[in-house]
Amino acid sequence: MARLRVKLALFNLLSKIVFTGLFLIFMPYLVERINLIQEDNNLIQKREQVLSLISKIGIEPFMSSDSGNVFGNYNIFKEEFTSLERVNLEKDENFIEITSRLIEGDKITFRVLNYSFKVDGNMYLLEVGRSLTSINQTEKNIKKVIWLFLVLIILITFLTDLYYTGWLLRPLNKITKKLKGISDPSIFDKLPVRTTTTDFMQLDSTLIELMVHIDDLFQKEKEITVNISHELLTPISVIRGNLENLLLMKDIEPTIAEKIEESLKMLYRLQSLVNSLLLIARLESRQYLREESFSVNELLSEIISEIYPIAEDAGIFIKYDFAQDLTFTRANKPLVFSMFYNVMNNAVKNNKAGGNITIKSFQSGKKFIVTITDTGRGMSMAHMSNLFSRFKTRVEYEGAGTGIGLAIAKSIADFHGIEILVESEVNKGTSFSFRLSGNS
Amino acid sequence: MNILIVEDEKSLSNEIVSFLRSEGYLCEQVFSGEEASEKIAINLYDFILLDLGLPDYNGLDLITEARKMGIETAFIIITARGAVEDKVKGLDMGADDYLAKPFALVELSSRIQAVARRKFKIPNQDINIGDFVIELQCRIITFEGKEVLLTKKEYDLLQYLVINRNKVLTRYQLYEHIWGNILDDQYDSNFIDVHIKNVRKKMNEFAPTPWIETVRGIGYRVRLEQ
Repeated sequence: MARLRVKLALFNLLSKIVFTGLFLIFMPYLVERINLIQEDNNLIQKREQVLSLISKIGIEPFMSSDSGNVFGNYNIFKEEFTSLERVNLEKDENFIEITSRLIEGDKITFRVLNYSFKVDGNMYLLEVGRSLTSINQTEKNIKKVIWLFLVLIILITFLTDLYYTGWLLRPLNKITKKLKGISDPSIFDKLPVRTTTTDFMQLDSTLIELMVHIDDLFQKEKEITVNISHELLTPISVIRGNLENLLLMKDIEPTIAEKIEESLKMLYRLQSLVNSLLLIARLESRQYLREESFSVNELLSEIISEIYPIAEDAGIFIKYDFAQDLTFTRANKPLVFSMFYNVMNNAVKNNKAGGNITIKSFQSGKKFIVTITDTGRGMSMAHMSNLFSRFKTRVEYEGAGTGIGLAIAKSIADFHGIEILVESEVNKGTSFSFRLSGNS
Repeated sequence: MNILIVEDEKSLSNEIVSFLRSEGYLCEQVFSGEEASEKIAINLYDFILLDLGLPDYNGLDLITEARKMGIETAFIIITARGAVEDKVKGLDMGADDYLAKPFALVELSSRIQAVARRKFKIPNQDINIGDFVIELQCRIITFEGKEVLLTKKEYDLLQYLVINRNKVLTRYQLYEHIWGNILDDQYDSNFIDVHIKNVRKKMNEFAPTPWIETVRGIGYRVRLEQ
């Protein structure tokens, strides 16, 4: 996982290193070749100088009396030497070789040019040599310069690449930044990002179009939910009034009254479903106000006192432990009440006789945490995964309302930026924790 | 008391009227804002039940008009919108109460009574049930001068049954009255049964309460001879 610009720059760097590496592998050979050719040319040039000198002044001055048949000359660092010797050779020699010579007790490796020629019927051998250490030194110097140059080039191009790709990809960064942390398409920044790269322009405009489209669809969906709900509520009102009036009639047959109540019950369920959907749709389109502040523990106490009679009747014990309190700000109290209430009520409904419900509230770092733990039948993983989906709970919890209670709790939590975590174990119980922002 | 019902849905209007008439109110119906505006200007009503979702009129304008003319009628808003803003707006504009559709007709009548007591300064009369006295003003119930200690919810439940005495109230109607309908999910739980059980237990320590009747399969009723 890495940023695109880093990846690009790294790839550039890597490819440069590979190519220069290849170059460096072949460089010694190349440098050596070039250097030798140069050296050999030098030797040949020297030979020509000596030969022209001989043709000018003759061979005698070299073959002086004290040295007999040999002339030798070298500079003080023994880097170069020239020697002339009268020899008897069967054939002419003209070659360049690498060979060692003993000069004043030092064994030195030379590149030596051998050349035989005849003067006055005598055969002479001319040797012009240059020591390999000095040749190698030149080679080393060349190599050093090349190395330095390459490293410098790589470094400079790496930095310019990094900077350039960074500059080039800046619009892309802006686009990804716009996308990051978007929970709702309506808050997407629809101003186009400034760029001269057509790819980014296209990406940006496509995203903007898409967001506008999605936002439109969301808006429509919300409107449809609200409208349908409204349309449904009027006929429900009419039927409800009708049935309730019937039920209030004097001398109504008990069996008929029971039938009417059954119908009413179904109608209540329908009403509560429609109201729940409306509630969720309104929460999602943020139609509720958030301008109250209240103590979380007081709210929890209030809910506990409401739930208490039901729990007591079912033989369930409610314990609570409020370590710290939080003044929850920018909230909608009735909604937060419903959220905790639904979960607590669920804890009662899914508990067994003799079971417990434990409610705790405490500060943990920057979060204020409320946990509601029951000793009920718990849930399987499969069930947990769609715990907050609408209408799913009904399958497992018979008679537990429309199963929309937890979906409502979740919507309310989302509306207030509260995180809900659920842990559960089958036959052991379930624990809900609510993480509220703020300090006690 | 005479009541004007402004509701464009005829069948709902008819149900409301038939219920309120059985409660002894005088009722008139109009089905549009235009008609309502005329009627309000000409006649004097104690109550106006106003549906906000009229096809030809913004219901809230009717309240403003009436208040401008100095009409002191009590308005109860009925709406399917149910959104907080509507409620706040309606009450700000001078409505006296607010009911979200669908509502129980018994709820409507108890709201009318409550608004009437408040607005027209009708003194709360204590209600005698057997040897118990419900003191509406203090919201307590006493037996021979001693208070029966009921929780707030238990008292509300009992008072609602007593105000709607001799009518069978379903569990949902009771639930809705006490908890409102924000906790939508819970109506088929045994909340009401548990609370009634507790009310009976607490009161039975003073005297038997045969007048709180369980109506099998339907709900509860307080039976009082008037």
